[in-house]
Amino acid sequence: MSLIKLSGGRVIDPANGVNDQVRDIWVRDGYIVAAPDGNEKVTAEYNISGRIVMSGAIDMHTHIGGGKVNIAREMLPEDHRGDTVERTELTRSSCGHAAPGTLAAGYRYAEMGYTACFEPAVLPINARQAHMEMGDTPMVDTGGYVMLGSDDFLLRMLAANEDQQAINDYVAWTLNATQTVGVKVVNPGAISAFKFNQRKLDLDEENAYYGVTPRRILQVLSRAVHELGVPKPLHVHASNLGVPGNVGTTLGTMDAAEGLPIHLTHIQFHSYGTEGDRKFSSEAARIAEAINRQKNVTADVGQILFGQTVTASGDNMVQYRNADHGSPKKSVIMDIECDAGCGVVPFKYKDQNFVNALQWAIGLEIFLMVDDPWRVFLTTDHPNGAPFTTYPHLIKLLMDRSYRNAMLDTINPEARAMSNLGSLDREYSLYEIATMTRAAPAKLIGLADRGHLAPGAAADIVVYRENADPERMFEKPELVFKDGELVVRDGRIVKVVRGNIHAVKPEFDIGIEKKIQPYFERYHSVRMSNFKISNDELCECGGGTKLIPHACKKRG
Amino acid sequence: MTNEATSTVMTEVACPMCGHACDDLSVDTAGASLAVVAKGCERARSSFARLSTVGDSALPRIDGKPVSLDAACAEAARVLGAATLPVFGGMALDVGGARAAMELADQAGGVIDHMNNEFGWRASRVVQDGGGINTTLAEVRNRADLILLVGTDAVSAQPRFFERCVWVGETMFDLAPASRRIVYLGGGLDTAPGVSPDGRQPDVFEFDLMRMPEALSVLNALMAKQPVTGEAPLGIALARWQELVDALFAAKYSVVVWAGPAFDAAQLDLNVGAVVSLVRKLNVTTRCNSLPLAGNDGDLSMGAVHTWQTGYPMRTSYASGAPKFDPVHNGITRLLQTGEADALVWLNSLADHVAPPACGVPTVVIAPPSQKLDGEPHVFIPVATPGIHHSGHFVRTDKVVTLPLRALRATSLPAAETVAMSIAAKLREVRT
Ligand code: SF4
Ligand SMILES: [Zn+2]
Repeated sequence: MSLIKLSGGRVIDPANGVNDQVRDIWVRDGYIVAAPDGNEKVTAEYNISGRIVMSGAIDMHTHIGGGKVNIAREMLPEDHRGDTVERTELTRSSCGHAAPGTLAAGYRYAEMGYTACFEPAVLPINARQAHMEMGDTPMVDTGGYVMLGSDDFLLRMLAANEDQQAINDYVAWTLNATQTVGVKVVNPGAISAFKFNQRKLDLDEENAYYGVTPRRILQVLSRAVHELGVPKPLHVHASNLGVPGNVGTTLGTMDAAEGLPIHLTHIQFHSYGTEGDRKFSSEAARIAEAINRQKNVTADVGQILFGQTVTASGDNMVQYRNADHGSPKKSVIMDIECDAGCGVVPFKYKDQNFVNALQWAIGLEIFLMVDDPWRVFLTTDHPNGAPFTTYPHLIKLLMDRSYRNAMLDTINPEARAMSNLGSLDREYSLYEIATMTRAAPAKLIGLADRGHLAPGAAADIVVYRENADPERMFEKPELVFKDGELVVRDGRIVKVVRGNIHAVKPEFDIGIEKKIQPYFERYHSVRMSNFKISNDELCECGGGTKLIPHACKKRG
Repeated sequence: MTNEATSTVMTEVACPMCGHACDDLSVDTAGASLAVVAKGCERARSSFARLSTVGDSALPRIDGKPVSLDAACAEAARVLGAATLPVFGGMALDVGGARAAMELADQAGGVIDHMNNEFGWRASRVVQDGGGINTTLAEVRNRADLILLVGTDAVSAQPRFFERCVWVGETMFDLAPASRRIVYLGGGLDTAPGVSPDGRQPDVFEFDLMRMPEALSVLNALMAKQPVTGEAPLGIALARWQELVDALFAAKYSVVVWAGPAFDAAQLDLNVGAVVSLVRKLNVTTRCNSLPLAGNDGDLSMGAVHTWQTGYPMRTSYASGAPKFDPVHNGITRLLQTGEADALVWLNSLADHVAPPACGVPTVVIAPPSQKLDGEPHVFIPVATPGIHHSGHFVRTDKVVTLPLRALRATSLPAAETVAMSIAAKLREVRT
């Protein structure tokens, strides 16, 4: 039994409507509890008066594990050279900047006050590896969104006009078999289309072999996720990523959900028009307006920040097309197992490059023009827009208008002229930052005991020393507790722990295996029994990680 | 289907005996040794039989004398603690073994280098220099209409390649498996498996494998519509080369298969780079992908874990306390020859066929009891094999699929990861 008291901190806990109120927080055996009655012995007390207290931050979209991330690591020794993590008495050695090793990633996330990270692109057939990598990412809870939509099994179901119920069973079966917490679709149907040598696929364009459109895939998957009662809305990497004029596709993608919950990821890359001499312009205003109006829509930004990074995506069609823009110029593109694909292209965003500078401005415009911090999430699509270690800088850009405008003055002037960023006065408050990095992602993913500080919550707690410079404040919390244990002090690891793994367990008719099993035997390279990851095996893959299963309540 | 509750035959067993990682084997566990009774190949049959019978009762040894596991681990820790640069070779491990090896090597300040890595690091360098366009086994099985084997017959490395990926019963996409075109580039290969079920012979471009760089240059030049000198490059009529190039352009989904160890090591970068260039050219108008064959002896399992934990591939030195990657400097054969390395740990759980090099430095061997040895090492610790004695995970040739390995038979031998973690714990004591 342990009882910890954090005394006198200024608590910011948007999930419970608490905004900068001085409160004591009590922690017993890893959970936040109400103040105990009189005589219980306090095992540790931390006087944190004057400090800001928030729950642990949650990165709801970060590429931290799985095949394509490991390709990026292998491909980029130059990325790692200047960024090593030395072995200490407590921690192992590791390295990497944009494509860090799992050990470096876990330590750095914790040192920045993050206590949970979600890998958004788990290929079903690669799920085991993704879990092994996440299991080797210390300090943080993990979970994955499983990628569907270009897998031949689903496309065959759609081509055969199978009913929604059968699709729901398949989606639920996949979530269980891969031990994931949500469903993602990447460039719907296009990864398959690329294997048939199609080079682009618009929202209403048919896959050459299956005759299925991206819109149809979005409809059935968003419905499946909703009806199964999976809390996390369908996670959508929309069609035509990066293409000037893709705003129409993006708005159409929102419509394809037909009012059901839908999450558009790295929406910055999907908010482009074709105005101006360069035929590339910001459509952030239209995108923000659409999000503000349609309450079923959420989005994360995928902000780009200037510097060297690497893009790692399931979208092999787009990554192949962009491979020549890579810097340094090298790329790995893969077709994967009648299941998915991937593409890895290093990239350097330059502030004097017109397109990059405008992308930077577009991301910030979206942040500032979406009214509701519960429906817009702070991401760089690590590492695609920038490494996650840039988050404190990004927070400063959102919180400090004069700093933002000073930076705006330094970017490519043509891009500056085409952005309304300078006219946006909004400055995010600490309460709004806490919403978008804690309360909102926990609610979106359905993590009832994370992202808040009320009794019953897991004691993932971060204590910050307030600083007029938010970047300084957020890059180095004073204390971080993970499940009630003090793991970071003054931005340094003081204890290495293993996080939990979150997975949803939607119900389904096991009869679906009568279709899936023969499919594996007839066409696949593995057997269904070896594809599925059991709870026990998951914990072994994770090197001993604890599984936190989340039940789902059927809807509709 | 067998009823596993009553039968001694386990079905859908995954095999770690080569990088293909077939997972359809039936293994009878009743006899004195494990018997692969359905699916599998000769290599699987003999490996399961051998590794499952070897001395359950084998004891750890120091200088040839039996000792307790604890004493052997303590001595191994003492050797590592006394070394300035210990090197870790063999490394035929599954994921669990590799994880423990990483912990130990980091703590000991050593270098890990898999026994197949003389090829592996060069293949990695090609990825670092330019990348590639690759595919995986199920895509080959369902889509490949033309398979070009560059310098390899595939089956020497991975015996069931044709059975499982090429001459299959059916494909998903209106492609009759028997209609696939098979082309071999290079002489001295076992081309019999390339004969189609209806008796169609494969195309064989016969030439000395050492001339592979020239052959690939001819193909790349013709693809780029550049002039090629001579009527018959490498003794093969130019028209045949041209016809192959035309066929590759006409194919809907061609696959170029290569295997690092099939190339002369010094030519590996050149050949793989040329394959990548050829594949890139074809993708401008059609689809074509490489399929590297690797994963044998767990090299991709070890390599994947090494890369994901620390960011760098193998041949990274942990001596300074932070990872330093230098694949030219850190080859352990070189480090042993120059005397920079002063201790050797030979760590295997999946293979026993390559003996540790005789090197004159204190040597600790952690391996199956059947491990080939040219002399008695200072410390020998027998261990179990994942997929036979205990569960585990194995990364397949395409670096995408990881198969679960099963425990088929009890043993008193410890797992390699147990031994490595025990040495790491003792090393911590030695150091403090
Ligand atoms: S081909 Fe390889 S994996 Fe398959 S059964 Fe033979 S040895 Fe095992
Ligand atoms: Zn992403």
